[in-house]
Amino acid sequence: MTLEIKHTFDEKNFRHYLNGFNMVLHCHHYMSLTTKLAIDFDDIGGTRILSESAEDSVRPLLEDYIRNHKISGDERLRIGAEFYSLMGMGKMEISGNAGAGNVKLQKSHVDSGWLKKWGNHDNPVNYFTRGYIAAVFGASFDKPARSYRVTENEAIVAGANTSSFTVEMVQV
Amino acid sequence: MTVMRDKVVKDLVDITVKSDQDGLIPNFNVLVNQLPTTFWNSFAERMLAAAPPERREALEKALVQCAYECGYHTGYGIITSEEFKAVVMPMVTEGAKDVLRGAYAVFTAWGWAKSGIMQIHEGERMTIRASDYYEADGSKSDRKRAYMVRGISAAFFELAYSDPYPNGMNKFRCEQTKGIECGDAFGEFVVTKM
Repeated sequence: MTLEIKHTFDEKNFRHYLNGFNMVLHCHHYMSLTTKLAIDFDDIGGTRILSESAEDSVRPLLEDYIRNHKISGDERLRIGAEFYSLMGMGKMEISGNAGAGNVKLQKSHVDSGWLKKWGNHDNPVNYFTRGYIAAVFGASFDKPARSYRVTENEAIVAGANTSSFTVEMVQV
Repeated sequence: MTVMRDKVVKDLVDITVKSDQDGLIPNFNVLVNQLPTTFWNSFAERMLAAAPPERREALEKALVQCAYECGYHTGYGIITSEEFKAVVMPMVTEGAKDVLRGAYAVFTAWGWAKSGIMQIHEGERMTIRASDYYEADGSKSDRKRAYMVRGISAAFFELAYSDPYPNGMNKFRCEQTKGIECGDAFGEFVVTKM
């Protein structure tokens, strides 16, 4: 399936919209530095805030698409993977049900960016994608925010060929 | 002729940002992402809300630093890219000043801010005004929060007037003097020597 995307550019304020959602272009430097900032400020919840910001900002866009295109079943997860690529975040394989799931990244903007900037890192750093995956599962199975715990088990940034995540539903 | 922002913006917007078969967007010598503005704003706002008062200044400094480093490296990528050479360089007649104007046009085309240079004393000081920028979205605030515009502006000025890349960092700073998020009609940013 190919996403139906309407890109508009507001010529008054010079803003970009995808299907009516205001988007902005940034680069791997900014994403890597923001991730590093979240890690450095983890004592105040930095990495959790990064994941939750991703979950809450991506979900409306996914839900809008699912609703307007009447997407159902497994197709919803695939839509999530396609949006991930559209946003330049990498290549995602995703599977699961309302209770649990698995995600693999063949390519990852966050990991590639970190590697380009600083090289390997001992621990996974893809907090953005944890939140993104939680948004995909929440939107796909009509569960409230924070219904899914996403764990990154293997990471490209730590030397693995692919990044892999497990998804579990939790009580909210 | 000099660099005409609106023409550059329109020309660059026509260069479609499309991901490749790996779901990545290699462009302007960097990997690009396109994410909802709400992601970046939520992150900054929630971090500031979570920070105890004594950590807020350090956090704000770190948020500016993210944009500053990004602006320095990506800014260099932008002004040396094929896209920049094709769209902007034919209009460059005033050296560094025009390259800087071109960089701000790209800044605008990427959806960061509808911004432009109001005043410039080459190599010394620059004033930027933005009539719209995504960091101003959301609730009104007592604190000026255009961390990204601040960081990028200092970095772009260094690319134009400091030592050649990559040795020109930490020579200029940028302060935000007005903010739409604080009720002003526009955002204003002043770059000066450290």
